[in-house]
Amino acid sequence: MKPSDPIKLVAELLDLPIMDNDGRFCGIVDDVELKGSAGKETRLDSLLVGPGAYRGRMPRWAFALARIIAGDRITRVPVNQVAKIHTVVTLKCRAEQVGLHEVEDRVRGWIPKKGAL
Amino acid sequence: MNPLELTLGVMTAVGGFVDISELVFAAKAGSLFGYALIWAFALGTIGIIVFSEMSGRVAAVAKQPVFNLMRHRLGLKLGLVTLAASVLSTLITCAAEVGGMGLILHYLTGLSYLLMAAASTLVLMASMWILPFKWIERVYGLLGLLMISFGAALVAIHAPWGKIAGGFVPHMPSGLSTKEMLAFAYFVVAILSAVLFPYETYFYSSGGIEEQWGPKDLGTNRVTSIVGMTLGSLLAISILANSAQLFGPVNVGPEVPGSAALEVAIPFGSTGLLIALLGMLFAVAGAAVETCMANAYSVAQFFGWEWGRHKKPWEAPRFTLAWIAFFLISLALVLTGIDPMNLVEYAVLFSILVLPLTYLPLMLLANDRKYMDQYVNGWLAKSLGWLFFGIITAAAIAAIPLYLLTSGGQG
Repeated sequence: MKPSDPIKLVAELLDLPIMDNDGRFCGIVDDVELKGSAGKETRLDSLLVGPGAYRGRMPRWAFALARIIAGDRITRVPVNQVAKIHTVVTLKCRAEQVGLHEVEDRVRGWIPKKGAL
Repeated sequence: MNPLELTLGVMTAVGGFVDISELVFAAKAGSLFGYALIWAFALGTIGIIVFSEMSGRVAAVAKQPVFNLMRHRLGLKLGLVTLAASVLSTLITCAAEVGGMGLILHYLTGLSYLLMAAASTLVLMASMWILPFKWIERVYGLLGLLMISFGAALVAIHAPWGKIAGGFVPHMPSGLSTKEMLAFAYFVVAILSAVLFPYETYFYSSGGIEEQWGPKDLGTNRVTSIVGMTLGSLLAISILANSAQLFGPVNVGPEVPGSAALEVAIPFGSTGLLIALLGMLFAVAGAAVETCMANAYSVAQFFGWEWGRHKKPWEAPRFTLAWIAFFLISLALVLTGIDPMNLVEYAVLFSILVLPLTYLPLMLLANDRKYMDQYVNGWLAKSLGWLFFGIITAAAIAAIPLYLLTSGGQG
């Protein structure tokens, strides 16, 4: 499915994993942003990734807890960077180009790069 | 097909069936109820074959491990509840395995149990760091096969094969009091829970993706799940049958894993005891690796992190930190001095509550032609899937009342 096709947001997009064009996992579709207004055509504008996007999707106390543990960052992935939506959302670009993979890269610095076969 | 390709199934099954909980539960079941609970293992085995084949097929075709599906199908809120419950139950199981390794090494060396638990955790962590996935599954899967000594012991003691065969027919022994009937029912639920532990499917389906399965591997998936799970089940049934033959008639209650090792020592002497203890050590170590990795897979997949041990540890850094953290927390639980046998009870009880939530999204996806195309569930997989979903849901509802009524199977 292409991102421009009609889509059932909850059944076919929300909570799917995102993979960049190098085949690396780089987040989950935590929420979406729509473009349009009442009475007009509504189009998908961007995918929201990160714990900040949980706001409104879970009880207030649970979101407060999630924010303490994971922070409240949100990354917006423009829909024009999406190549395909199937069991995984595949991007046309590398994760870094749309601001994903930052935490992964930061944590990588803490891990010694030796010893594994 | 290369026989080494079966090692994923063998490790999943040996680690799933012959972990510390089975060593104690199967031996206790045999000692208390003779051969009457064999059917519960057989029933659970059909269930785990159905679900592991399904999860491997979904991994091969949709390229989705169980926890990705779970979040997409259940949504964030219910998905988080399932994640928390499953991580907690698998963490308790992992701690029980770490404690079990400490106990077995204590039997082998005479050194302090806690020291051995800490040392074995460090060795496991080092092996997970150094070895790629293929080697992890081969080392623990193949060394765990020393558990076949329990099957050999059953042959050596001239087991009553007719009675064992009769145990495969579902029944309850006659002449039980109400209390004993409740304890029997508790054992049925606990065995189903232990055989269908959700971490087995998390590990198995993620392992399929680690091995880059595709539709061409569906034959391997089917053979692996049937052979691996049947082998694991037969090992657990051997422990039960040995116990029914050796411990039941003399009223010995095998409360610790060391009692199970005596089943092999009786016919084969000290060599048998050593082989049994080593087999138990590697099987329990495999289960510790499996539970720890299953938890790291679950969390990484739920939040969309890079994951997998086919990558170097620094290529999936948050996944690496997750499995290290789960090992250290498990060890910390053991170092508090809590009895590993209590951990086993809690793990079994908690897991049964999570089972329906684990297997429902898996079935929904395996039934979805849009994702699975021609590999969608056929009538047999669909019928068996819903049948076992009904069974585990009924077991989940009965688990806590039975636990409370029987004080954890004490009658």
